[in-house]
Amino acid sequence: MIRLAPEIFTRKFNHKDFSVSETTPMPQAVNQEFETRCFQFKSTRAALNELILSTSDTALLKPQLAEHAAKVPMLFSNMPVILNLQQLSEAPDLDALSSLLDLCRELSLVPVGLKADPDTSSELCRHLKLADFSHQRRLSKENEPEPSQPEPPAATEPVTPPVQTAPGAAKVITTPVRSGQQVYARGTDLIILAPVSAGAEVMADGHIHVYGPLRGRAMAGVTGNVEARIFCQSMEAELISIAGYFKTSEDLHSECWQQPTQALLRGSRLDTVSL
Amino acid sequence: MAEIIVVTSGKGGVGKTTSSAAIGTGLALKGFKTVLIDFDVGLRNLDLIMGCERRVVYDFVNVINKEATLNQALIRDKRTENLYILPASQTRDKDALSVEGVEAVLNELAESFDYIVCDSPAGIEKGAQLALYFADTAIVVTNPEVSSVRDSDRILGVLQSKSRKAEQGESVKEHLLLTRYNPNRVEAGEMLSVDDVKEILAIPLLGVIPESEAVLKASNQGVPVILDADSDAGQAYDDAIARFLGEDREHRFLNVERKGFLSRVFGRKG
Repeated sequence: MIRLAPEIFTRKFNHKDFSVSETTPMPQAVNQEFETRCFQFKSTRAALNELILSTSDTALLKPQLAEHAAKVPMLFSNMPVILNLQQLSEAPDLDALSSLLDLCRELSLVPVGLKADPDTSSELCRHLKLADFSHQRRLSKENEPEPSQPEPPAATEPVTPPVQTAPGAAKVITTPVRSGQQVYARGTDLIILAPVSAGAEVMADGHIHVYGPLRGRAMAGVTGNVEARIFCQSMEAELISIAGYFKTSEDLHSECWQQPTQALLRGSRLDTVSL
Repeated sequence: MAEIIVVTSGKGGVGKTTSSAAIGTGLALKGFKTVLIDFDVGLRNLDLIMGCERRVVYDFVNVINKEATLNQALIRDKRTENLYILPASQTRDKDALSVEGVEAVLNELAESFDYIVCDSPAGIEKGAQLALYFADTAIVVTNPEVSSVRDSDRILGVLQSKSRKAEQGESVKEHLLLTRYNPNRVEAGEMLSVDDVKEILAIPLLGVIPESEAVLKASNQGVPVILDADSDAGQAYDDAIARFLGEDREHRFLNVERKGFLSRVFGRKG
């Protein structure tokens, strides 16, 4: 049985010469009946980012990428990316592409695949030992997240929810997160069993749970997951944000201050609900 | 093997050096062979507080650069037995310190001392990081005000991420020393209370030192305030040392002293 999960949404931030878009990639083929002794294929839904280039000139690209990397070093450290060349006016040759890949690696990105002209991409990918994502269908419109209306899958089989990642994969922190410290749970949830001090930053691609007072900044769904939520035992945050929608402590003071609270997105509204 | 204690705070002017002098003296009074190291290279103060500024010949940086031996640089305290001071250099800056150099000095001191008390400079830069890098125990000096508490929180984060213990996967023991505490102002709502600070920093409380005229007097005279056994601050430091060594003592000077009729009429000196 082969399942195809719908692409949930595509989200893009435009940043001058390049943009980073977040996609939920198609899972690999799942075959649960297929039993071998040595290995098992399992579908996973790793969050993958796309680096959409509007120039292949590394001299232009490097300072801007480096500046972006300096702003969010934790996001950049060994982040897997798909290199998207589909917006380039002229397809780069193999040499140009290698230097682009070198630039990515220099900035701690891990290029895992390529999106290019479907006619030439397979040849390029074979040379560069990258996965070819060029044939992936565009399912959602640009700049418009469509969380509620996923495209029906091509397969005729009934849609089953994608296999969840292994339980226990969330990042668990048991010591206080102090002022000036940053914690980032990439691709997963963040659970903190201690206070988060004012001036600290906790971030996750998934939910954030704080079993203690939340006094610093909490950012859930940093790669665009609008379903992410923030839970805490006492809301005293400087700022909370979900998928880029935020509230500052000024707003929180009048809503849920020092209350056990969850924060969630309703459309483009960041709501706080007491627990 | 000596226990290395760092007295740190992040913020400046909260009483690190005063506390280092009192803690070092207190430990020596209990019979432990103790050395006080001034890590504030370029802003040498500990020797003034300890009243030994006229006897400084060689300093910490000289020892690191092998221009002097440790024995030449160590100043023996005249009042307290078992107590030695290693002064900082006033003419150099923090770049004169190196991890290897500091480690070599600490290793040599560890052979003959019970406690090594490191008086950290303010800030979270090189000097402060070197002072806390080798620490087994940290005494975090905090004033009951929000900026000091925030900076202490920051330094606690640095301690648990950038110290040698942290790199080895262990943790540095943490103690909170709340200084310049004024119960009157706490009651008036102008100052954070002990409980507020404890709640935010979430580390065990070693002691609360009341705001006291005795501290400034002691600093200017070059006598560690713990030797002023009549003063409230001196007694509070003595309590803190006893707690540090495992004794169970109740916290004092936390509440407003209600003045009796006579003292109200005749006045009373704190």
